[in-house]
Amino acid sequence: MRNIGLIIMREFKERVYKKSFIITTLLMPLLLALVSVAPTLIMIFAKGETKQISVIDNSGIVADKLESNEEVSFITLVNADLQQELKSSLEKDEFGVLYIGEDIVTNPNNIQLYTNTSSSMLIEDNIADQVEQIIKNERLKEYNLENLQQILDKVEVDISLSTFRNGDDEQSTASSSAASSIVGIILGFVLYFFLVIYGSIVMQSIIEEKNSRILEVLVSTVRPFDMMMGKILGVAAVAATQIIVWGLLIVTMSAFVIPALIPDDIMASVEALQAGADVTAMAASGVDTGMVTAMASIMDTGYIAQIIGLLLLFMVGGFLLYAAMYAAVGASVDEAQDAQQLTTPITIPIIFAFIILTMVMNDPNSPLIVWCSMIPFTSPIVMMGRIPSGIPTWEIVLSLVLLYATFVFMVWIAGKIYRVGIFMHGKKPSFKDLYRWLKY
Amino acid sequence: MSNIIIAEHITKRFTEHTALDDVSVEIPTGSVYGLLGPNGAGKTTLIRVINRITIPDEGRVLFDGKPITQQDIYRIGYLPEERGLYKKMKVGEHALFLARLKGLSRHEALVRLKEWFTRLGIEDWWDKRVEDLSKGMAQKVQFIVTVLHEPRLLIFDEPFSGFDPINAELLKTEILRLRDKGATVIFSTHNMSSVEEICDHITLINKSKNILSGRVDEIRHSHGNNIFSIQFRGNESEFRQSATMAEIMEYNHDQITGLTTAKIHIESNDNVRSAISAINNAVELRSFTEIIPSMNDIFIRAVNGTLTE
Repeated sequence: MRNIGLIIMREFKERVYKKSFIITTLLMPLLLALVSVAPTLIMIFAKGETKQISVIDNSGIVADKLESNEEVSFITLVNADLQQELKSSLEKDEFGVLYIGEDIVTNPNNIQLYTNTSSSMLIEDNIADQVEQIIKNERLKEYNLENLQQILDKVEVDISLSTFRNGDDEQSTASSSAASSIVGIILGFVLYFFLVIYGSIVMQSIIEEKNSRILEVLVSTVRPFDMMMGKILGVAAVAATQIIVWGLLIVTMSAFVIPALIPDDIMASVEALQAGADVTAMAASGVDTGMVTAMASIMDTGYIAQIIGLLLLFMVGGFLLYAAMYAAVGASVDEAQDAQQLTTPITIPIIFAFIILTMVMNDPNSPLIVWCSMIPFTSPIVMMGRIPSGIPTWEIVLSLVLLYATFVFMVWIAGKIYRVGIFMHGKKPSFKDLYRWLKY
Repeated sequence: MSNIIIAEHITKRFTEHTALDDVSVEIPTGSVYGLLGPNGAGKTTLIRVINRITIPDEGRVLFDGKPITQQDIYRIGYLPEERGLYKKMKVGEHALFLARLKGLSRHEALVRLKEWFTRLGIEDWWDKRVEDLSKGMAQKVQFIVTVLHEPRLLIFDEPFSGFDPINAELLKTEILRLRDKGATVIFSTHNMSSVEEICDHITLINKSKNILSGRVDEIRHSHGNNIFSIQFRGNESEFRQSATMAEIMEYNHDQITGLTTAKIHIESNDNVRSAISAINNAVELRSFTEIIPSMNDIFIRAVNGTLTE
């Protein structure tokens, strides 16, 4: 145990004090922030000048109702001839001419846009949408219904299903499985991301150790199991440090951004719900209840702490297990190039687990999904989806025990491979050899 | 005297060749034991079998009379032939890390490291990075961490390679000092003068086989070729007539002192006395010494297969 601790400390220090680590750890959230505001920035800077479109409306219905905006402005021409207008449009440096036929209401295809420059999808869609709406309204009008607008408003409906866990032990918590599943999927991706990066760091460092010959000193000093365990936990500690720093930076940054993004009335409802208000009453007042319950459950610290705590346990376990598999690959090759093809089989179960995860949304308790949430190679990711929807405690415990036991076993295997692989000199170990090594 | 290590009938095969073929060695406690042999003879493999890095295909290793276990490994200090240290670490930190892995407390390790660094004159390397060290420098650091926890058995693979003569001398002194403090030392080498200077026992391995084992002085004496160096004053032709039982290999007469030195070979041990007395009767014999072969001679002759028992 003491040696594992020493190795963890060494691995941790070596990586965390590296300039590159400090730089990426501090800059990554900034980069993320930049990426998230980039679309808005691009919109602001990429906004071209307003496009002028001349409208020849032979029906006399559409042109007046077309609304200009920042993108396009419509100029209605009266008694204009299309051919002439097309010529003068070129000279006027306009975007183009919109021709609307007389029978547009009955024949919606009788509408053409002539552009002087290359067209733009955005503008085409804008025009099509507007004209569609106008024609729809015109057609409705023909029925001469009274209070048409009121009827339409009343018919408009937006369902938001409030779900409750019918718990036998605790009070029913309004749990929005959608919101929880999103948390699960996000954690799943974070896990995958860190696995791919840090798994190969574990692998690389083992290959380097083999090449730098330090391993002969280490093998004659510590048990290979301690060696592997220390290395994996050390790198995991580095990953954890990075996650924590990123988490803190992102939370502090978003603390200023999120409140500004959420409309006041929704915020008020969320607070009301947390204070114990009735959801159905709220629905009557026209608030989007799905959104409110989801947010309330996210902000309900007790509930979320429990779920996140469990998800983290799975995430850490999954990370360790896969890191140990990467370690085993590193232990069995001499060069980084050779490792490439061996790492592919490792990533397959992860991708498979992601496919299963998408199915969890439909039915968290189907046999396939239950099995996959027990098998250690898929359980960390599949459980991300299952836990938020609520499952029996024994399933969680069993899955965790299996996961961590497999991790320790995998470290042991990696240690053995490391030990055997060192001085084989190209000799392929026979099963008899392997058996003797395992016992040695 | 008891043996700290007994390796019995060790055989180790690799794909292309057999590295060790039924090799047995006994290493007496408290000795300085040399493993000699040409490149590729199997020395390093034997060392790795002894300290449990490699598992032999046949045979077994006893430590203090019992089959060696992982626990015994902590009583062995091992300096591998290919030195390896983490390149990015600082020397002091690295030494401390390895020292603590061997079970020393942080405080104890620091005290001992400072002492050793001072003794080998490398105090000011403490904060250097390992990658900035030369090969010899790195080797000194590695030597220190090998012996720091004062193991009972020290195994050095080619400890002198990469050292200049001054540092090689320093290393010899330290090896002898460690032996005097009670450690048993095994080392492999090509450096024959160091063998004569510091080894009590040797094993000569050639082509995967143990071809010669024993105490250094016994080996040297028993492999004397019956070559003698004599010095005398007298007439050359009388000397040559008297030395019928010997073959004269070299003959030098010094005009100024009037002394003659000659190297003679006497065929059989039984003839030594009569040959000498014949010469003694003919000339005024001043000195008569057997030339004991150097380990270098024995090594070359043994490897070439011309060594006679």
